Amino acid sequence: MAASVKVKNCNLRLQKGDITDLDIEAFVYYAREDLALGSGFGTAIAVRGGPTIQKELNEFGIIKMTEAVVSAAGEMKAKYIIHANGPKFQEEDLPEKLKQTILNSLAKAEEKGIKAIAFPPMGAGFYGVPLDQSAEITLNTIKEYLSGETNLDDVVVCLNDNREYILFDKKFSSLK
Amino acid sequence: MAKERSHKAQIVIDRLGKKLNRQIVGSLVACVHCGNCTDACHYVLANPGDPTYAPAYKADKIRSIFKRHYDWTGRIFPWWVHAKSLHTDEDLEELKDIVFGKCTNCRRCTINCPMGVDLATFNRMARGLLVSVGVMPEGVAVVSKDQWEIGNQMGVLKEDYVDTLEWLTEEMQMEYPKSPGIPIDTVGADVVYSINPREVKYDPRTISDAAMIFNEAGENWTMPAEDWDMTNFGLFSGDDDLGGGVARRLYEKVVELKGKKLVISECGHGYRSTRCEGPNWAQHDVSFPMESSVITMINYIKEGKIKVDKSKNTEKMTFHDSCNNARSCGLTEEPRELLNLVCENFQEMYPNRTENYCCTGGGGAMSMSEYTPQRLISAKVKADQLKATGASVVVTSCHNCVDGLADLIKHYKLDMKVTQLVNLVANALVIDKPIEVPTEEVSIPAAVTPVVAEAACLQGYKILVADDEPDFVTFVSTVLEDNGAEIIKAYDGNQALELARKEKPDLMTLDITMPGKSGIEVFEILRSDDELADIPVCIMTGKPELRKLIYDRAVKPPEGYVDKPIDEESIILNIRRILELAKSKGK
Repeated sequence: MAASVKVKNCNLRLQKGDITDLDIEAFVYYAREDLALGSGFGTAIAVRGGPTIQKELNEFGIIKMTEAVVSAAGEMKAKYIIHANGPKFQEEDLPEKLKQTILNSLAKAEEKGIKAIAFPPMGAGFYGVPLDQSAEITLNTIKEYLSGETNLDDVVVCLNDNREYILFDKKFSSLK
Repeated sequence: MAKERSHKAQIVIDRLGKKLNRQIVGSLVACVHCGNCTDACHYVLANPGDPTYAPAYKADKIRSIFKRHYDWTGRIFPWWVHAKSLHTDEDLEELKDIVFGKCTNCRRCTINCPMGVDLATFNRMARGLLVSVGVMPEGVAVVSKDQWEIGNQMGVLKEDYVDTLEWLTEEMQMEYPKSPGIPIDTVGADVVYSINPREVKYDPRTISDAAMIFNEAGENWTMPAEDWDMTNFGLFSGDDDLGGGVARRLYEKVVELKGKKLVISECGHGYRSTRCEGPNWAQHDVSFPMESSVITMINYIKEGKIKVDKSKNTEKMTFHDSCNNARSCGLTEEPRELLNLVCENFQEMYPNRTENYCCTGGGGAMSMSEYTPQRLISAKVKADQLKATGASVVVTSCHNCVDGLADLIKHYKLDMKVTQLVNLVANALVIDKPIEVPTEEVSIPAAVTPVVAEAACLQGYKILVADDEPDFVTFVSTVLEDNGAEIIKAYDGNQALELARKEKPDLMTLDITMPGKSGIEVFEILRSDDELADIPVCIMTGKPELRKLIYDRAVKPPEGYVDKPIDEESIILNIRRILELAKSKGK
């Protein structure tokens, strides 16, 4: 059974799957500063969502570290994509930057009136944030945020495979 | 005063300490600079005046950092033992150009080293250290991210993969109505078959050939709908986390499907990473046997499960050993045994087996377009070796080698083609069963090929053929028109764009080197234009450096990529696959 916990009025849960194919209002894409979609989930967004997404992103130009912007999700199941420029490849002050990136993504979601949002394991995988560090910061930051005032009612952390899911689930258990 | 060190350089030095084990330290300290490795390296042989390609020189670049920080001699007498530290991000870039750009990790120097220095192992380690701080060629970044996030090296989405397999099944069942086609996600199969994403994206013929062999052998087999990629870019990039993650996905999928055996299609680095290295990276006990499809095919023949007629493969053929198969996995005799069973005229190349030369595209080197010129210079050694055989076909058991060899054959204008064992076995298959005809009692002669049987398979499609060679345009247009397509012709980049805008074709074939706007410019403009971005594009080119469109991309990759020269069957197969996928997406 998928892990789930209620934080005030919001569900926080884990799910295994492809975040770009999730039936949810919005998801977070761990973006580059130039907002070029690139490969990986970027390819999935470009192929499934269509060319309008990159075009919309080109209007933003460069975004600063930890900043997030919202675009429409084109023809994807989701309605919005939150493109968050998080820390990459062991850069300095990584934990603080990662936390701020997550908070900025949540704030952007609130600003847009989004109720349901999915996060990937922030920074883990290609960008090299160690998986346990990503789990610790992603889950704790979201939980802390949801403990305050929020209009969100569903937050999902979407994991690609068992390797990610099992570790996140372990951290998740300690949240309860 | 001590020099300041960049954040990334410090991390690389710190992490180096954690990567050191007996095997790596043994290799780092054992070199006596005897020079035996020098003549073993294809880069040196092709660049005799440039000592920076010598394996010992390249190894010293990594060795000097080890000595400076982790060996007492270098800490106390750095000037004496040539110990040197890393200080700046530029130092890291310089190291990147050596470990990625001047070595394919082919391990030929390793087996020729009397001291047992395994340069490839610590070169891979150095790559991994650089990747961990984000210093890597763009193509390596693209492919790594695809495999981390999409689950395969070429960013093939699940729907495209499944659609392709289903389409191939339909194709097979048109010829043989009772064929099981390609079973997907069958639980409890005796064989789970895993492939290289290149097969589904650019070479679907290898999948249908394998399916034909499995079905003819009466095998209870299946292909997974997800986690099917047996290649592993962690082997090339040095990223052990990626290596472990990718291997584990495949192993867990076999267990989930209750498969009894994993068969790995012909791919050198896929075989090595899945069969040999993966369990260690993933720290995962593998409870089922794994084997190369080469072994599977030999067993089918020996056990009488399939019959082959070698007189169907009459051309003079030679065999190229993939470095990962031969030097790292000992897979040298089996491919030759199989080749001799299915072809009449086999000519060995020299040197061969573990001493064979690298195709220069191995393991993932094709993804680094910035190093293509120097890679192709080093490929002269392989080109000379191929030429000396007098063969018209080079057979290999590796998808990366297929691309590497195809590139060098074009570059050095050799009159050869490349194929794999699976294609030869499928071609040599003796199928006793009569071909079953559709129930509508339409009579189809047994000798008719699928291409002819569906003479109007492109009826209703409008295809734009863009190429500056009039003969090629005529050839492709005739093939497509014969199959029912409406053709529009363009002979330069500007005309191609203009006609694409005006005619909105269902598909566009695109050459790269055209007058006016180049094919790359045309492609990027198409992809960035809302109205044209969804037109499926099949690149048809003889320019290997343009693989950057696949690996080094800023825009959505092309739907198809076919090397020139192209035969009629390949044109139809690729065009139909692309159109079918586009149709299934409603585009």
